[in-house]
Amino acid sequence: MIRRIYHSLGVQKFIRNRLALAALAVILLYFAAAGVVLLGGITLEEATQRAGPDNVPGFLETAAPEKRLQFCRFYLEPVERALKKKDPAAALREIAFAERRAAEKPAAELARIVESAFEIVDELSESENLYDQPALLPRLAALEAKVDSLYAPLEGSEVFWRRLRLSLGTDRQGRSIAIRAVYSIKVAVQVGLVTALVSVFVGSLLGGAAAYFGGWMDHLVIWLYSTFSSIPSLVLLAVLVYMFTGSPFEGTLIPVYFALCMTSWIGPCRITRGEVLKLKELEYVQAAASIGFGRLYILLRHILPNTVHLMLINFSLLFISAIKAEVILSFLGLGVKNEPSWGVMINYSTQEVINEFFWQIGAATAFMFVLVLAFNVLSDALQDAFDPRTVLVSAKER
Amino acid sequence: MWFYILRRLLYNVPVYLGIIFFMMLALRVNDPIWAFLGKNASREQYEAFAAKAGLDRPFLSQYARFLADLATLNFSAESWDQPGKSARDLLLAAIVPSLAITIPALILTSLVSIAIGLAAAHFRGRWVDRALMIAAVLGMSISVLVYIVLGQYFGAFWLKKHFGWSPFEIAGYEPGLSSWSTYCLLPVLISVAVAMGYDTRFYRAVMVEECGRDYITTARAKGAGAGKVLFVHMLKNAMIPIITNIMITLPFLIGGEILMEVYFNIPGMGRRLLTAIVAKDFPVVQVFTAMFAALFILTNILTDILYAIFDPRVRLS
Repeated sequence: MIRRIYHSLGVQKFIRNRLALAALAVILLYFAAAGVVLLGGITLEEATQRAGPDNVPGFLETAAPEKRLQFCRFYLEPVERALKKKDPAAALREIAFAERRAAEKPAAELARIVESAFEIVDELSESENLYDQPALLPRLAALEAKVDSLYAPLEGSEVFWRRLRLSLGTDRQGRSIAIRAVYSIKVAVQVGLVTALVSVFVGSLLGGAAAYFGGWMDHLVIWLYSTFSSIPSLVLLAVLVYMFTGSPFEGTLIPVYFALCMTSWIGPCRITRGEVLKLKELEYVQAAASIGFGRLYILLRHILPNTVHLMLINFSLLFISAIKAEVILSFLGLGVKNEPSWGVMINYSTQEVINEFFWQIGAATAFMFVLVLAFNVLSDALQDAFDPRTVLVSAKER
Repeated sequence: MWFYILRRLLYNVPVYLGIIFFMMLALRVNDPIWAFLGKNASREQYEAFAAKAGLDRPFLSQYARFLADLATLNFSAESWDQPGKSARDLLLAAIVPSLAITIPALILTSLVSIAIGLAAAHFRGRWVDRALMIAAVLGMSISVLVYIVLGQYFGAFWLKKHFGWSPFEIAGYEPGLSSWSTYCLLPVLISVAVAMGYDTRFYRAVMVEECGRDYITTARAKGAGAGKVLFVHMLKNAMIPIITNIMITLPFLIGGEILMEVYFNIPGMGRRLLTAIVAKDFPVVQVFTAMFAALFILTNILTDILYAIFDPRVRLS
């Protein structure tokens, strides 16, 4: 059976398409990443904790002197505050920016360093524009060294993790963009998989049954899908998500799944119905009927397996539209609220873009772009290999 | 022909009834009165409000009442969020700003993407075609939001900051033709860019399919020039898929423009509906969704009629 599938014309054609295989590899990589996140590789806490100062630029960009001064101040202040408390040692232990923790030095020594560091800060703050005064840059470097000595040196793998965490910078609340972008893969893959699987399953079954049984079943299914497709999808999505406000599911992925499944079964249903209308007239179906097989059995055993290629193509297309829709819903404030997702990130980044900080929108876009591109390439290849006659059955969405 | 139109209209009546039914049901799953009054309202307040809004009656009677209102175009239900304004006032105020974006966007998208589709089909297999199609796939893979956010940044901030040239306003809307380009041109251009990827690919596929037909060979054999074959013979025959695609896009444009309207603060239908949903302004949500669905169905019927005009075979089936 497997060998027969492997040697079939469509599969062979698909395998010869190098680009499609590369896209498939990319998709599997994303799925693996989602699996790692799901199994606890990155916890939600890690994605929402403060990793450093606000809007640290990513790996390619060196921060402007003003920014560097600001960052130094950011790292100085909690230590200063902790030293003023009744129990400085306990307060110091509580300081944590992911891996970065306060140094285990006597409080008096730390206080000395803080004091001398603030002297430099005051001195540097006096000058209006640090760009124009290269003479002050060594002072800034000295300040940074002092600030570094306030914190425990990172050891072994910590250095690597710290670098990775700040590789794409931090957002307006000092959270690591890289971690959030990777965590969002989980949300995207979850939404895509659930929506695409449920919609393809329900759509194919309904479409197949409508075409094969005909009669009132056909009328009912056509009425159902024309009804659902006659409401602009964004409006329907908004109303369906709105149904959940006030319920314990508000802000989770459940309303998103529900809304997306309710709107996306239509595409596969329509296409499967068309295909089954053709298939049911073929001789092998008539032969099966004449042997005396039941109608349901023929539909499930003989007809629907012959539409698997359409299911595959639809799965791929729906995956794309689900990810895009999830991002739009999150952007409108109707999607997930307690987890990061690419839409949430893009929504956050609108304030940063005005301040010319592009790391967050860039990271979210890049991560999403690669996945959607891979699926677009895969859909094209699947269509080429298995359904070359149809011009384009692309599910049209934005 | 008239019989065909009548048949299409009748066919869509149950569909519209179904839409209204589902929408009204979905809007009542989460009790709209509690949502609007808040959890602290007293039982008496609730009942008084329900009686005033007519929400205390059984669902089917509400359904019949709303259908009657729709049939007589009576949208006088008062908005909860903005007392004193009826749903009709809000609707009428929102139509023009919506059309100010939708229509130019649709025309521009269709013209440009048909032109690109023709070009790609003409040069099919060569590097021009490849480059265009790669660009289309790349463009399709970027989220709409990125187009909007970056489009607004570069169009309204960056140009002003670096070139001192500010052709576009950041957001907002003012009625009148003279201020159209400052407020609406940028959203229109962005939505054209968004729609481009899918549309050029579709038009190219249609044109390439037509290229292989016998009548093209015949026209060539008879000595028609490349231009004539492309624009007269092929374009005319490709009209059916083109019209379908434009008409399919129409309702999606309404949907797609919701995002533009929200982001650019244009008081169109989509933005009004979305703010009503967030403000739990139940009567407005109900009327607006009903209007959206009606628009959708009317465009569907119009598509069918155009079909029948361009291809008489459709009428008979």
